[in-house]
Amino acid sequence: MKLELRGITKRFGSLTANSNVSLVVNPGEIHCLLGENGAGKSTLMNILYGLITPDEGQILIDDEVVTIADPKDAVNHGIGMVHQHFMLIPVFSVADNVILGSEPVKPWPVIDYKAATTRLLELAKEYGFEIDDPNATVENLPIGAQQRVEILKALSHDASVLILDEPTAVLTPQETDAFMVILRSLKASGKSIIFITHKLREVLALADVITVMRLGEVVGVTTPAQTDERGLATMMVGRTVNFVVEKVPATPGDVVLEVRDLYVEDARGLTSVKNVSFEVRAGEILAVAGVQGNGQTELVEALTGMRHPSSGSIMLNDVNLAGQSVRHFLNAGVGHVPEDRQRYGLIPSLSISDNLVLDQLDDARFLRRFGRNLKAIKANGAKLRESFDIRSQSEEAPVGALSGGNQQKVVMARELSRELKILICSQPTRGLDVGSIEFMHRQIVDIRDSGVAVIIVSSELDEVVALGDRVAVLYDGEIQAIVPPTTSREEFGLLMAGAGAAKVTL
Amino acid sequence: MTTTEFQDPQFGTILRFAMRARQANMFIVLVLALFVGLAFGAIMIIVTQPTLLTSWSHFFHHPGGTIASSFNTVWFAYEQLFQGAVVNFHALRMLIDDPSKANLGIVLGPLSATLTYATPLIVAGLGLAIGFRSSLFNIGGQGQVILGGVLALLVGFSFHMTPVLQVALEMLAAMAGGALLAGFAGVLKAYTGAHEVIVTMMSNYTMIAVLGYLLIQPLFARPGVLDGASKAVGVTGQLPYFFSRINSSLLLNFGFVIALVAVFGVQWFFDRSKTGFELLMVGQNPDAARVAGINSRRSIIICLAFAGCLLGLAGMLELTGVDHFVTPNFGGSYGFDAITVALLGRNKPWGVFFAAIFFGAMFSGGEAMQAFTPTNIQFSLADVIQAVVVFCVATPALLVEVFHLRGGARLVSNNNTGGWV
Repeated sequence: MKLELRGITKRFGSLTANSNVSLVVNPGEIHCLLGENGAGKSTLMNILYGLITPDEGQILIDDEVVTIADPKDAVNHGIGMVHQHFMLIPVFSVADNVILGSEPVKPWPVIDYKAATTRLLELAKEYGFEIDDPNATVENLPIGAQQRVEILKALSHDASVLILDEPTAVLTPQETDAFMVILRSLKASGKSIIFITHKLREVLALADVITVMRLGEVVGVTTPAQTDERGLATMMVGRTVNFVVEKVPATPGDVVLEVRDLYVEDARGLTSVKNVSFEVRAGEILAVAGVQGNGQTELVEALTGMRHPSSGSIMLNDVNLAGQSVRHFLNAGVGHVPEDRQRYGLIPSLSISDNLVLDQLDDARFLRRFGRNLKAIKANGAKLRESFDIRSQSEEAPVGALSGGNQQKVVMARELSRELKILICSQPTRGLDVGSIEFMHRQIVDIRDSGVAVIIVSSELDEVVALGDRVAVLYDGEIQAIVPPTTSREEFGLLMAGAGAAKVTL
Repeated sequence: MTTTEFQDPQFGTILRFAMRARQANMFIVLVLALFVGLAFGAIMIIVTQPTLLTSWSHFFHHPGGTIASSFNTVWFAYEQLFQGAVVNFHALRMLIDDPSKANLGIVLGPLSATLTYATPLIVAGLGLAIGFRSSLFNIGGQGQVILGGVLALLVGFSFHMTPVLQVALEMLAAMAGGALLAGFAGVLKAYTGAHEVIVTMMSNYTMIAVLGYLLIQPLFARPGVLDGASKAVGVTGQLPYFFSRINSSLLLNFGFVIALVAVFGVQWFFDRSKTGFELLMVGQNPDAARVAGINSRRSIIICLAFAGCLLGLAGMLELTGVDHFVTPNFGGSYGFDAITVALLGRNKPWGVFFAAIFFGAMFSGGEAMQAFTPTNIQFSLADVIQAVVVFCVATPALLVEVFHLRGGARLVSNNNTGGWV
């Protein structure tokens, strides 16, 4: 099926989200749609999927103009969409989720579960998916498997064009590899794929055609053979992007944080951080590398007071904070940029100003004799919005309305506006576009240079290497080694796979 | 739906205005909700009046007459409803014609009754709104109202102090009682995870049983009477009436001022106070609140205790402002009406205030309607109108759809019923 968007324009009030956008997707093509947050990619795809009605322009399928008024039309025309946030029912089984909305019945109204399961397994086989148990409850599956269920669901409606909205943002590196294999097999079976992302490496590895959008317009159509990461980034952002983080060598001062023999249990009672010891000095960045799920989450939770370690000590300037409350950690000068900003870092319905003081309610600056000092809170919001270039209509806008990059700026601005001894950033640039990543990295290096100790936890090896002055590799809850960032990628790979237990450098 | 289908000229005008505006905002939604409620009520009146039904069955013989008689009946009923709730036109005209002869009690009586009935409901609605804004569903309003009333009663008949002091002591006792009862549910939730809905709901039954038990105890029961009523609050413990010197039928009491203070207090609490903001944080996103160092256990307990405090106060206002003694039915449906009031007021302090007054108006207006319409249109009709209005306000999506309001999606998504899921 050939799909064409012709001259699509969509305005929201004074904002033009899509301006005369045209796009052709040929059968069996992986078409990458690349652009910064807010470039209009999602709007365009929502138009294609019938969630938004365009002001101008046409959608053509096999060279015939069609009207797509709602997602049902889209599905009937063979368009399937896998949203970034899955539209699955967590407590339903895999089979239930796939048949939801088109349940086979025999006789009405009894659902024919057997037929449903058979159909599911056939589909999975046809496209080479691994489905271990069609009756497994979706919420118990890893994210990668949940995503496969979403794709299967779209395929079960005979989709010939699949829209994938930032599918790899939630995946671990291994899951991403598995995902790419799936995409190639889908392509081989003649499906077209529209792949929205801002990870340049994936685009170059997968795409047949790349369409780059900026500020609601198509700024270029290219292929991986014609360009490289730098070229794509320049098109996306509209200027040359600095991939290498510029920083002078660290000048480490006194030890700020000293972690000794730390053991932490996860929510299920399994020990997920084992015998971890390290120290971080003022003015240096310790990066923690490792594949997601190797104890990073629990380590960060322990270092911020969210989870009490089962044993070991966390000495901040010679005071043991292990077992203390989150408030104690905050007061002691621990800054925390959590890995899931929407869930842990922000309150979407509240204003930018309020979100900028969430963990500083006790600060004398924001209190009056009776109650909160709204004037000071608003002034603080205006000031930080200005200095962190948070793009919004005003500091009173709800944070939920901001793009991911601007939301992360709010979290970062809030933490940096406190008196810090150590800043702990977990996945500081996950899901952000190139421009925002550059900005975040600059902030992190600046705070290091001002003499604060920094810990960066990231599953992106590029980021770890770019930012870290020393890199600790975590595998199965243990630190395999602490190595300099100049270590080769091969060696990092081995350490991340658990090969470093015997050897400790530095 | 077009305006011509509707018979009531006044609401026709308002509707045309609303249709022209067609912008979905809360005011329009309220007007439309009221319109739909009254339209629904009109149909109910017509189908429940045998004479009107008969005339509709001969509609094609006398279409004009049928419509006119239906219109007249509905119009008269609603006129009574309005006069019973707000102001008596006849008495008002007399007052304007000759101020010296007029009876202020009749002119202002309906408004006074409306506000009197609304007073405890305002405070109770505020209490529940606090919980809902923090995503805590306190179902125990009834129990907390009862406990507040009972403790206020104990203080009320046991002492004979200076009035101000005694009323203050009653308030204190009632608020402490409500706070303890609801706060207990908070402690259970915070430390054991017991769901507040179950605990508070059970506390209702417990308090009803406690009340029943107390009313047969010599300490509480009215001596020599077996009607289940309690002793009465002494004169020094009663809330003074504002206007009883002007006219003895104006029974609006000082509790209304207390309710107003509570509205301002709760408004301040959420807008300005640190604790209120923390409750909001925990309610909107408990995970982010935890990262920001908020002690969520403490917040849960404070929130429920504060809510219970206001519900206890509502019980005290009902007791010391209106009846001055309790019966086994004390508190009635306040605890549950207050849930609806909080919903109708969208958990905003002033919203709750006006929602409670609307409830009060439908109550006193409904009584007047039943009493003064020739065929005694039932009081329940007021309940029906009230229910339809609440239904429409609770589901703005419905109105947005039916009246094709612009910008409706925003209104629907902004539906501030956090904690109702």
